[in-house]
Amino acid sequence: MHQNSILLLFFFLMGIALIVFTYIFFSSKKADQGMSNPLKKRFWFFLILVFILGIFASVTIPNSPYFAHAGETPAKVVHVAAAQFIFYMSEQAIDPAKPSGHPIELPANEVVEFRVTSLDVNHGFAIYDETGRLITQTQAMPGYVNRLRYKFDQPGKYHVLCLEYCGIAHQIMRTSFTVN
Amino acid sequence: MESIKIKKITSVWIITVLVLFVASIVLGILMRLNQGGALNQAPINFYSNMTIHGLTMIGIWFVAGMAGINFLMERYVKTSYKANLTAFILTVIGVVMLWVITLVGKFHVAWTFLYPMPFKIMWAKWATPAFLVAMSILSIGWLIWSISMMTQILKKYSIAQAFAWQHFTKDPSVKTPPFILISMITLVGVITCLFVAVVLMALYFAEFLSKGSFVNDALLMKNLTYFFGHTIANEMLYLGLAVLYELFAEVGGKAKWQTSWYVALAWNFTLIFILTAFFHHLYMDFVQPEGFQIIGQLASYMASLPAAAVTVFSVWVAVYRTKIKWSLTNLLFFIGVAGWVIGGFGAVIDATISNNVVLHNTLWVPAHFHSYNVMGNVLFSLAFFYWFSIQFTEKVVNERLSKLVLSLLIIGGAGFLLAFYLGGADSIPRRYSNYPAEFTSAKPLALVGAAFATVYLIPILILFVTITKRCIKVLFSSR
Repeated sequence: MHQNSILLLFFFLMGIALIVFTYIFFSSKKADQGMSNPLKKRFWFFLILVFILGIFASVTIPNSPYFAHAGETPAKVVHVAAAQFIFYMSEQAIDPAKPSGHPIELPANEVVEFRVTSLDVNHGFAIYDETGRLITQTQAMPGYVNRLRYKFDQPGKYHVLCLEYCGIAHQIMRTSFTVN
Repeated sequence: MESIKIKKITSVWIITVLVLFVASIVLGILMRLNQGGALNQAPINFYSNMTIHGLTMIGIWFVAGMAGINFLMERYVKTSYKANLTAFILTVIGVVMLWVITLVGKFHVAWTFLYPMPFKIMWAKWATPAFLVAMSILSIGWLIWSISMMTQILKKYSIAQAFAWQHFTKDPSVKTPPFILISMITLVGVITCLFVAVVLMALYFAEFLSKGSFVNDALLMKNLTYFFGHTIANEMLYLGLAVLYELFAEVGGKAKWQTSWYVALAWNFTLIFILTAFFHHLYMDFVQPEGFQIIGQLASYMASLPAAAVTVFSVWVAVYRTKIKWSLTNLLFFIGVAGWVIGGFGAVIDATISNNVVLHNTLWVPAHFHSYNVMGNVLFSLAFFYWFSIQFTEKVVNERLSKLVLSLLIIGGAGFLLAFYLGGADSIPRRYSNYPAEFTSAKPLALVGAAFATVYLIPILILFVTITKRCIKVLFSSR
């Protein structure tokens, strides 16, 4: 699970930092010459950081959501209009003057595209699976349409929550759809 | 060396910051208690508290950094007392307005006030224009202060010297103190983002006064908002670092740090990265050009390089197997650097676009920025406050009290932050007054967070009392 790997990575890095800082702090209690040749060590430290970050960037950037399923034709397009404090979802374009939606069913293992906009303030369009895990998201911004492509590999009921603070009922702004 | 006036105004800044800090921590604890189900605030009250909590915290730690820089700057150049006082008066006016607007007017747009929410009136009608006026007052006050300080630096140092470019040559004839270099770099960033804040406010006013004939572009406004918000929230950390560069060696009884070619290079690059990293706030706006998104990730990664290889490494070199006179001041600095590094890991993970898609606006976000504030920048400023308070009054340091303060800060801070990180990894949304039932871990984690934040508040209150008492003495002393 993506979030678990992230948490493990964070704990691993935090552990290293805590060990290094603690070790360096206690080394000042048995002081002698200080660090020998700090410039050389600094240089190697810098190179290692550049190397690690370079690998991270080159592996992760191609996995950015903007490039997901970019060359494919979506099996289904869902229009989403967010408004304080409701989501309208429809397979037809939504009229901003008379917004309406209907229950959505999507196919599993096929690319679907959500075209997400807002009729008032900024909102979030965050898709959660049945276990309450956030699987993907985009923002709903007035005047713009964000296209989010995703392939659901598990059938079931998915929940959509607003993840951009939008006002007094932000915490209850939600909808759902089914993947068969 | 320092005039009486600068001592007094610095004392006033410190007392003001500490009073507002305690009040804002209490608001934060109330928020976590509400999320945990122990309180039952109406959402409008929760979101108003959340708005003023965020605005106040950003504001006070920025002015804390500026007050510290201003006081120590007197060692190198004469600063303008008038600019300092003007900034203080305008800050007090702006902050009082913001507290009235949010707590009385129930203005609840969060500290990010994303366009066009301030215009979707869900509060007292007067609150929106009053908010725009308050933000303009703060921006202008801080802009005057920053420009004045930069002008004073440039009266003594040329532009090239202020940026320490002569250190790229073999034998620089003039040496730029690191404090001047970092202050200069930071002030450029601060002035740039405050200028953008003024433009942002002008655009809001233009729409507000046009009565519908002029409408702003939401994507542009979001970029401007985060350019301002992200940059000022990061620059305040760099203000704290300038103070660390100036004082860390001094209070440890060591020779002052010198600027070398790599220090100069690192800080010059920091300016570029800090001004371009804000794009990571817009990763989930897929209409933003992809090039900007990638710049956001690369700049966020690269911002960590000079920070780690120069500042963090320099702190390690200064401490490793070196006899140090440890005191509350440099221990706060040292722990603050560790907190900053750990928060930095959380930030770099979140600044990775493919991670951000499952972390954006979850509790991971407050987790990482609270890390480098609660356990980083706040400790840098508290170190300065404490150091300042013992300069002019009795120098008695109670070692047992210092140990208690540091232990409670670490225990309280770590538990408070851990609850946020675990919540973020559990997909729990941020900025929810109450959690939907499916987030089973959300309420217990919120209560754990509130309990540890209360533990953190205890040493803050101890420091508040000891530092304030000494600052009040400075205020009423004629020396």
